[in-house]
Amino acid sequence: MEIVREPQTQAGDGAVDLRTGAQPADRLEVSRKGAPVVRLEGLSKRYGDNVVLDGVDLEVSAGEVVAMVGPSGAGKSTLLRCINLLEVPDAGTVTVAGQCVDAGKEVSAKDAMRLRRTAGMVFQSFNLFPHLTVLRNVSLAQERVLGRSRAEADARSMELLERVHLAGKADTYPSRSSGGQQQRIAIARALAMDPQVMLFDEPTSALDPEVGLEVLAVMRELAESGMTMIVVTHEIPFARDVSDRVVVMADGGIIEEGDPHQVINHPQHERSQRFLRAVTER
Amino acid sequence: MEHVGAVLLGVPYTLLVTVVALAIGAALGLPLALARRSSLAALHLPARAVIDVLRGIPPVVWLFIIFFGVGNQFVPLDPLQAGCLGLGLISAGYLAEIYRSGLGAVHSGQWEASDALGLSRTDSMVRIVGPQAFRVALPAASTYAIGLLKDSSVVSAIGVADIVFRSTADSRATGAALAPFLVAAAIYILLGTPLAIASRRMDSRLRQRVAR
Repeated sequence: MEIVREPQTQAGDGAVDLRTGAQPADRLEVSRKGAPVVRLEGLSKRYGDNVVLDGVDLEVSAGEVVAMVGPSGAGKSTLLRCINLLEVPDAGTVTVAGQCVDAGKEVSAKDAMRLRRTAGMVFQSFNLFPHLTVLRNVSLAQERVLGRSRAEADARSMELLERVHLAGKADTYPSRSSGGQQQRIAIARALAMDPQVMLFDEPTSALDPEVGLEVLAVMRELAESGMTMIVVTHEIPFARDVSDRVVVMADGGIIEEGDPHQVINHPQHERSQRFLRAVTER
Repeated sequence: MEHVGAVLLGVPYTLLVTVVALAIGAALGLPLALARRSSLAALHLPARAVIDVLRGIPPVVWLFIIFFGVGNQFVPLDPLQAGCLGLGLISAGYLAEIYRSGLGAVHSGQWEASDALGLSRTDSMVRIVGPQAFRVALPAASTYAIGLLKDSSVVSAIGVADIVFRSTADSRATGAALAPFLVAAAIYILLGTPLAIASRRMDSRLRQRVAR
């Protein structure tokens, strides 16, 4: 694969270089322009004979919140992981913030890192670094990847920890926090890189329902601040009330997408009807 | 009591051989472990062969090969050098496997989180995965170190004047069959116990942080 930096196209124009530490307020302004931040074209991925993604196209505009729902094995997580190259697609192109990755060409580790920087990832299992304090968890990559000084990074980290209401945990180790708190720290850690899009891979699936709510509340605030988000989730109320668009995936493809209320309340496709009935009528 | 002084003379050599062999093993074991974990067959197959050979031959045989073989015919080596080198190489084989299992025990999500943040491979290893692997590997590594303190006595076979060498010499000189070796036994226990306590302390302290 090869990363081509498209000059003055897509989100490339207008997009403030968030790496220099643009504040959320700036980001909001950029987001309103609605240029595509993520564009997937003909994305395919297979493991042996198992086709996980079959030529998927998807475009997400700046400031848009997209909820991806669908049965397990539909390819939702794989799709998300292709966006920041945790999985390397077999075919198709991935464009994030103007940087394009073409499957089938060699991609250097450096280029992959550059693309990953633009996308923040939140995992189902949090994946905080257990040997580092909460503050170091949020600051480390800012220093190593963005080249911020320790003081700058820590200041930004504290700001973000306050935003997820966990500033008091800064000097503790992650194991001292509950699952919901750990996930909020993970959100702060991803935000600290000033990403142009946040990817959430079933962020509440490992949490009990009550604790999941506090994570959803933080995500809702984030959505309201204008962050571009792609959220793989089984939380149908969140998808309906917070997202701008719901995408239903099944068998490696997008079978239906559109206005959240429309898709969730009146799904057209038989497969989405079956799935949505299963999650809403339990 | 007259045996104590004689046997104590060996303590510096026992400690020296143990520490130097551990240092060599700790340093050489790391590249060996990394090569062993590589996805490239050109790296992991030779690494595995080297580890198997290092561990598969009895230490005393290694020492004879190095001291009498290499030492007499290629590079001149005195017993102490040959002993440190031989035990160092063997330790590299064992520590490589200990490192490898430590690295394997770190959850793959830690690599993924590092990747997602854009950290380089080196940063991920040095700052994220390495320290966690170290904590996992520590109990096994310290068990190995304590074992090596005792098993370093094999260097007496090539004439390094360690605790066992001195006990044997004292036994021959005085005709006492038991006393010098009881003294040696007591010294080994006195040397090993603080190590065991220290490693247990360090382990439980580190464990508190990693517990998740």
